[in-house]
Amino acid sequence: MESSRKQRWRQLQSVFEPGFSRMLLISLLLHILLPVLYFTPLFPKGEPLKPPVYRVNLVNKPVKNPQAGRPEAVATKKPAPPKPEPKPAPVKPKPLPPKPKPEPPKPEPKPIPKPEPPKPEPKPEPPKPKPAPKPAVKPKPEPKPSVSKAQENALQKRLEQLRKKAEQKQAEEDRKARLEALRVAAAAESQQIESPVKDAPVGMLDGKGDEAGVAAAEFVREYIQQQWSLSQYQISGSPEAEVLLFYSTSGALQHYRFLEKSGSSIFDDSLIRAINKSKQLNQPLPEAMEFHIVFNLKEMMDRR
Amino acid sequence: MQKTIIHLVVMLFALTLLAAGCAKKPVAEEPSMMEETPQVEIQQQEPVAVVEQQVDDAAAAREAAEAAARRAMGGLVRIHFDFDQYVLTATAKQTLANNAQLLKAAPAVKVQVEGHCDERGSDEYNLALGEKRALATKNYLVSLGVAADRMSVISYGEELPLDAVQSEAAWAKNRRAEFKARR
Amino acid sequence: MKMIKYTWLLFSLWLLLSGSALAVKLEISAPGEQTIPLAIPPLQPMSLVRPEVAAEFQQVLESDLDLSGLFELVNPESFLDDAQRLGLRSSEVDFAQWRLLGAEALIKGGYQIEGEKLTLELRLYDAITRRLLSGRRYIGGLKDVRRIAHTFADQVLHSLTGEKGPFASKIAYISKRTGNKELYLMDVDGHQPLRLTAHQSIVLNPDFSPARKELIFTSYDKGNPDLYRKEIYTGRESRLSMKQGLNIGGRYSPDGREVALTLSKDQNSEIYLIGTDGTIHRRLTNHYGIDVDPSWSPDGHKIAFVSDRRGNPHVFILDVHSLEVVRLTFEGKYNATPAWSPKGDRIAFSRLEGNQFDIYTIRPDGTDERRLTFGAGSKEHPRWSPDGRFLVYSLEQAGKKTIHLMRADGTGSRKISPPGGNDSHPAWSGHW
Repeated sequence: MESSRKQRWRQLQSVFEPGFSRMLLISLLLHILLPVLYFTPLFPKGEPLKPPVYRVNLVNKPVKNPQAGRPEAVATKKPAPPKPEPKPAPVKPKPLPPKPKPEPPKPEPKPIPKPEPPKPEPKPEPPKPKPAPKPAVKPKPEPKPSVSKAQENALQKRLEQLRKKAEQKQAEEDRKARLEALRVAAAAESQQIESPVKDAPVGMLDGKGDEAGVAAAEFVREYIQQQWSLSQYQISGSPEAEVLLFYSTSGALQHYRFLEKSGSSIFDDSLIRAINKSKQLNQPLPEAMEFHIVFNLKEMMDRR
Repeated sequence: MQKTIIHLVVMLFALTLLAAGCAKKPVAEEPSMMEETPQVEIQQQEPVAVVEQQVDDAAAAREAAEAAARRAMGGLVRIHFDFDQYVLTATAKQTLANNAQLLKAAPAVKVQVEGHCDERGSDEYNLALGEKRALATKNYLVSLGVAADRMSVISYGEELPLDAVQSEAAWAKNRRAEFKARR
Repeated sequence: MKMIKYTWLLFSLWLLLSGSALAVKLEISAPGEQTIPLAIPPLQPMSLVRPEVAAEFQQVLESDLDLSGLFELVNPESFLDDAQRLGLRSSEVDFAQWRLLGAEALIKGGYQIEGEKLTLELRLYDAITRRLLSGRRYIGGLKDVRRIAHTFADQVLHSLTGEKGPFASKIAYISKRTGNKELYLMDVDGHQPLRLTAHQSIVLNPDFSPARKELIFTSYDKGNPDLYRKEIYTGRESRLSMKQGLNIGGRYSPDGREVALTLSKDQNSEIYLIGTDGTIHRRLTNHYGIDVDPSWSPDGHKIAFVSDRRGNPHVFILDVHSLEVVRLTFEGKYNATPAWSPKGDRIAFSRLEGNQFDIYTIRPDGTDERRLTFGAGSKEHPRWSPDGRFLVYSLEQAGKKTIHLMRADGTGSRKISPPGGNDSHPAWSGHW
């Protein structure tokens, strides 16, 4: 058995050229070299397919120097004074009629603390018979003007801790009150999720400036995109066109010019329509601006 | 009057040229297309529908003859197949042995072996499969001593089910080879 | 002097550079709206008022354009007074009104009736740039309204996609409404069904000639499944292939000069090429397994077909010149009825799973398989529209067979066959 295998091995060896092992080594080295080369800047890398996703809301004023904040926030003049959340404790532990929806976000933060506590919600927070140890009511600091993701997380973490402790102790007495507290907290939280930032300043996620609003470029990008209609059934391939548009401070299109046509008249015609519909922006710009817009279909859904 | 019109036309032409020349600069409408509409004549040619006078006499007569033939060879029993198979089962072979005896006893009778399938599967494929079934049946009978020239084959695929119900039982019934008297 | 020259140069250089340097560069990588808002105000009478003519036209046109998936129709209830005005020329149309309603495309038209003669003048406008995209005047009989609507729908697609639509073409199919399977012809929307055969036998699997108004099909009329040819406008009919055994699945080559079909004259089903006179040109397959269901690639060099040569029925591709065979489908246990798209980029087929067929497409190289149909019922016999935009197929549900259309991506499916029949085996004509 053994010998036959050796025999076969020898047979195999005889097939190989004498320099075989050297060749193997070189081949190995070359293979290693390839990935190394790839990661050097020498190697041109393909652009990532998807451009970054921007979140922009058209109701926001385009500004030159947007501050940090949330683009979808409703514009507020001044962040209202931080209002302390009314203690949810006193709420009756009645079986709450499941509200189908949380309160719609108030358009304006009222200066007075809201009379009614956040609506309890039939959220995945079921009234588990989980007793909480101590009157852990406070952990819900009402959303201060700007509730960041981190704060939200912290809140959630705290809730989590709360629950754990609750499991440890079994104070039957104030169980119901605690439960209620949890429920209210959950409602408050879920409300925040659905209407994220009643009071957050208007701005860009990555803004660093001092003006309330979104960057003008983003605003224009979104505006023109909304004016652009094209069906996936109209176009095959991946056309791309580049257009230069010049807007005045008032948001009026002064002139435009195709830097590069796509080669598809259907595609180019759809752009001409979009540009025609964008002759007048619905808000002025911080200054006269020129935009170099690349139109393509990289994010078009369901393309074959 | 005419001159003015000509002038106007020329002016218009020039203007169009001008507009086309610098169309891209201002927020310009694209030069509008020719307003004349090509004319299309629709002449409807009517496809020929069938005119039917044929009365079903022939078919009825055929039916009667077939029925008589069926009675004459009432002894020939149909056989069944497994799904997507044309291999004869043991039961089928027993049945065919019996049929072979009958056929050999009546050397004048000529038969057509029909191959059939259940409705599952594609029509074309089933036509081919039905033929394979009919051929397998015929060949087995030949091997049992029935003269090959007394038998012809035809496939009906899934076109003539015995039982049109959609059930395993009905499908099993429909996967078959039958024997018909040949005129 | 030189100084000035240099300054000049520098200045112009600065101008050149600044042009691009100051521009904010943005990318818009998808349209905000993926349908074109289209307004179709009712046709206006140019003389005699016949609202039912306008209504029928409207219904046909809207249905066609809806199937195309390109448009979103602007709600007619929001129409303003321009919808009631006959003005068809771009100078007469109040585009501002249409733009206000969000329409980007606008179809305006008028009709004129003199006796039995019907004249329709139709215009497709770009409502934003006020450009006439397409204008046609159709002259026909009163009975041609549907046909004109289909023809104009094709024209609209041509204007907005660069390729003509298939709505004025025809669909042949097999129906059992007389009790026997016979050959029928209908419009793409299922209207005007017309029986073409009276074999009182079994008629199967039609295919259109690409060159002439002619169909081939298989019939048991003479007691054997023979291949027939039928001229649609003369009614002339003849047997094209009547070899002993099967003469089935006939498919015209893209040039219309040959027919691929399955013959079993040698006791086994193989695919052959015959001439339009019925003589055998070549045998294409040679295998003891079942070989059926040929479908030509649009270039005429390849044929997809079904074979059980590897055990279960699967789709294979045959090179017509070298006769080399490559397996196409590997998934599933039962794949059948391939149909090569007229664009050549995909092959539709049906796959049996459980007791139900569903329609899939795959690239001819075997990649990117996609399932198009879901839900109850068995979907079979996919065939492409001449432009490759749509598929027609038959659906069998609860023992009833009906014919349906859908877009090539599987969306927008709808029943087209007229009610009350057992209809199957559709075949789509070329542009009519």
